[in-house]
Amino acid sequence: MTRGTAIIALLLLTAGLGRPARLDAHRLDEYLQAARIAIEKDRVTIELDLTPGVAVATSVLAAIDRDRDGAISDEEGERYARVVVDGLVLHVDGRRVPLALGARTVPAARDLTEGTGVLRLQASAELPAVSSGRHALFFRNVHRADVGVYLVNALVPADDRIEITRQHRDWLQHEATIEFQVGRSARPHEQLWSALAGLLVAGAVAALSVRRRHPVSKPQVG
Amino acid sequence: MTRRQLGLGVSTACVAAGLVLAGAGGWLRGPAADAAQRGAAAGGTAARAVAAANAFLGMLSPAERAKAAFPFDSPQRSNWSNLPSGVYVRNSLKLGDLTSAQRDAAMALMAIVLSRDGYQKAVDIMNADEYLKNNPARGRPGGGGRGAERGGATPPALAAAIVPAQNAAAPGAPQRGGGRGGTVFGKDEFFIAILGTPSASAPWMIQFGGHHLALNVTIAGASHALTPSLPAAQPATYTLDGRSIRPLGDENDKGFALINALDAKQQAQAILPSAVTDLVLGAGQDGRTIQPEGLLASAMNAKQQAMLLDLASEWVGILNDEGAAARMAELTSNLAKTYFAWSGPTTPGSVAYYRIQGPTVVIEYAPQKTVDHVHTIYRDPTNDYGARFVKP
Repeated sequence: MTRGTAIIALLLLTAGLGRPARLDAHRLDEYLQAARIAIEKDRVTIELDLTPGVAVATSVLAAIDRDRDGAISDEEGERYARVVVDGLVLHVDGRRVPLALGARTVPAARDLTEGTGVLRLQASAELPAVSSGRHALFFRNVHRADVGVYLVNALVPADDRIEITRQHRDWLQHEATIEFQVGRSARPHEQLWSALAGLLVAGAVAALSVRRRHPVSKPQVG
Repeated sequence: MTRRQLGLGVSTACVAAGLVLAGAGGWLRGPAADAAQRGAAAGGTAARAVAAANAFLGMLSPAERAKAAFPFDSPQRSNWSNLPSGVYVRNSLKLGDLTSAQRDAAMALMAIVLSRDGYQKAVDIMNADEYLKNNPARGRPGGGGRGAERGGATPPALAAAIVPAQNAAAPGAPQRGGGRGGTVFGKDEFFIAILGTPSASAPWMIQFGGHHLALNVTIAGASHALTPSLPAAQPATYTLDGRSIRPLGDENDKGFALINALDAKQQAQAILPSAVTDLVLGAGQDGRTIQPEGLLASAMNAKQQAMLLDLASEWVGILNDEGAAARMAELTSNLAKTYFAWSGPTTPGSVAYYRIQGPTVVIEYAPQKTVDHVHTIYRDPTNDYGARFVKP
């Protein structure tokens, strides 16, 4: 995948935050929190969808609507988003990496209390240039563990130099360890195939070149 | 008479025959499907679909058409959900607001673009919602709904949200404004939209759905796509006219058969060591590709691979036979790179999640904490909404 394509893929991921979030499930007494993790060579981006069920929405709204006016202001939405993001834990190769809140979509209070509102947050962490080789990312989310239900999944990296080799989560998906490998130009097995293909082409070109210099003469009949 | 005129005439006659039979037999019970699909056999599905779509649109008033017809690239294409009316607004034409003839025409169109079994699955899901409307206890915790294991008490908010049958909107009545006012179930609460201009060659799309059903069918000549689509069911088992109906019964049974056909080593790879409690790529997750995991089909024997393809066919085969055949060929060609993952117990009857994921397919089966309420999703990360059919 080219760099341009990777940029476009990242823009598409980011653009999704601008669309109204569509509720997929109609939970009642649980607070579904679904995280998707995008790994790039110099950044990790986490997209987190939080969907409180109708039976827990009141308590979630109470944590957001601090002035109790029945509406969620921009400031209240941002404040809650920061609380959530500040509670996330991200380590790369054993070192904690701070997450910064990015784009967010906060539903109307009424949608929240009806169990149809989805808070969609994006958080990202800048990484020091990750060297070629094997690496590991650790992520933890225990926001509202009293009612939380969690999903965490790695997205297929847009950068084809990065290959996810293993995902491991705890039973409740509070935590995930994602092992990944960074190659120099392509995934290791693709590098091998590219090299073999190159050798075959080179061999074919060489054979054609020899044939042109030394054409086989037709036998004389007579 | 030119060949084109003859073809259109045959198409129209077939659709008309379908409408007559549908009106006589009740469109939810099969006659419309049978008639429309007999017509489909007489010619290409795309041509039949164009004729049926135009016949349907031609029956609508300008106001109705404004609710049913959208540009092909309209944001309406991603306006689908498994949520019921009352909490989700679909912005398209509601079946409950149509005359019988109009509804028959809408269902005749669906009968053409879906397979016989696919159409029946859609009807079974719609009938499940009608059953839910008339038996609201099946939708509450303790009545087989989500959260039953948490004590069975009905959350006051949900009890108040379920609208009694007598308060549901009568046919022809204006839709509840803004989606507010409480949840509304039933077969009247399914919606249809056509995006783009029905055409024998240019891409266009049919969007059909309601509570627990979202079908997005893109047609571009001989190329058809059914992704993304979301078949779901609650209740997962109900009785209709003395028969037991399980809209997603085969999806459940074949999934358990496959996981139990694997040996211990294969199961150890397939079974995820964590609880997957819901769809990962449901509504609102367009354009995302999660890292595949589980057991690769290349590590299965031939019989197990056949079972995996048979399981996938429950979603693939919702589409008409022409489109489904091409799609199955594609899945088969990518089988070696396809994963099967499972989460939960392997005992049939248990609440368990599974996923099929390959280069051009993602299928998830996710019970909502009870076997009586199941959500599924069917995607193609390379061709949702027929992306490959649309020339840049």
